[in-house]
Amino acid sequence: MDFAIKLENLTKLYKNNRGITDLNLEILPGEIFGFLGPNGAGKTTAMKIMTGLLLPDRGNAYLNGYSILTDYENAMRDIGCIIENVCMFPYLTAYENLKLCARFYPEIDENRLLWSLQETGMLAYKDERVKNFSLGMRQRMGISLAILSNPKILILDEPLNGLDVEGMVEMRKLFKRLSKENGTTVFISSHLIHDVELTCDRVGVVYNSKLLGVEKIDTILKNYSSLENYYLSEVDINGNS
Amino acid sequence: MATLKAAYLNELYKISKKKKLFVAGILSVALIGIISLILLGINNLAGIGMTSKGEFALLILPFFEYTIIPLFTAFIAIDMFNGEFTNDTIKLTLTRPISRTKVYLSKVFACATFIGVFLLFTMLTAIVISLFSEFSLSSLIKIIIAYVSTFIPLFVFSLMVMFVSNFARGSASAFLISIVLFLAMKGLEFTLPTFQSFFYTAGFDWYKLFIGSYINLSKIIRLFFIFAGYTTVFLFSGISLFDRRSI
Repeated sequence: MDFAIKLENLTKLYKNNRGITDLNLEILPGEIFGFLGPNGAGKTTAMKIMTGLLLPDRGNAYLNGYSILTDYENAMRDIGCIIENVCMFPYLTAYENLKLCARFYPEIDENRLLWSLQETGMLAYKDERVKNFSLGMRQRMGISLAILSNPKILILDEPLNGLDVEGMVEMRKLFKRLSKENGTTVFISSHLIHDVELTCDRVGVVYNSKLLGVEKIDTILKNYSSLENYYLSEVDINGNS
Repeated sequence: MATLKAAYLNELYKISKKKKLFVAGILSVALIGIISLILLGINNLAGIGMTSKGEFALLILPFFEYTIIPLFTAFIAIDMFNGEFTNDTIKLTLTRPISRTKVYLSKVFACATFIGVFLLFTMLTAIVISLFSEFSLSSLIKIIIAYVSTFIPLFVFSLMVMFVSNFARGSASAFLISIVLFLAMKGLEFTLPTFQSFFYTAGFDWYKLFIGSYINLSKIIRLFFIFAGYTTVFLFSGISLFDRRSI
């Protein structure tokens, strides 16, 4: 079976012993996968390795079948991501920041660029310098940058951080629509457990550098009253073993 | 190649949007103007012939080569690496379908373009000022050869700064280390004259070899290989550090 994302024994440990250990995960095309865990559990480390920002101690990550370690350009060709925080050149406008990214994809035209701003409600601010943007606006811009190239996979680290309730609902709808209509695989890390419950098809719980369990949301909600209860139960049973 | 071109155009675009570029331009014009006025004053008032005005562009070249151009080149090169790593904007490029080697090369090409344009701008400004007096074609050819050949040592300097930027922790330390390295090499040229030819900084005024009445071809070739050696070392060491850098 062709997986959109495949992680094989992914391991990266920092000097303080935090990081990620033997992470194995397979995610299907079109799936919305939630990566749950407390701060310092290793979520961002895994995402950084998946996007080539960090080299693993061992293991490999495959995106659309391409190894991130040996075939980086092909692996990243159909990827959109936000890792850790939204980074843009502060002295450039929203449009100019998007234009810089668009140069890497010959198929992106003006309409696509404006579409990505429209989808996140940022079209009205396209000519403003991003240094004047609020946290929520920056987050929306990060999502615009991620969806710009019509990627097959979206890797989003805390994408709803700083968004107001309205923004969270809009973005959640956007992720679901991209998954349903375009078959986009969405890999979301979040500590907002309620949002993960409402957005994702499947979740993985990571705790103390280890993946404790992976389960479908439907199955979880059949057996537990909420995703929060499942999470606490997983941490309680497997977290300290 | 398409992604390398895209990254190169992005780097040029970023440079063009920085205030440093305009500061460099204004400062250059102002300095050229001030120097020309001083020389004019000395020539006319004191009656001392410091320079024929046809040689003015050649007279200011070493001043710009040792001060303004390397200074702004260092600023630009450090901004490209330490600056982008510090504010995390490097992620915007690194999470695109382009290898790190190509990202590094795009920055090298952009920096080289900056040096080339800066030299051209300085040369043209100096020539325009020189045009107000006698100006012969032979001078023009000499000037062009001098400015074109000056590009090479400045390019090697920019590669050194980029290499330093990839192991120094911050922009300030990268700048300081680069300046100390440059001055150390310059100092060693004088304290260890036997080994002078091993330092690329000894070739900063190699343009004189091209415009003199006698062209010392063997020295030109030797210096060329020194530059090529330093280019190889700085370029590949820089790429190697950049490639393994965690974010």
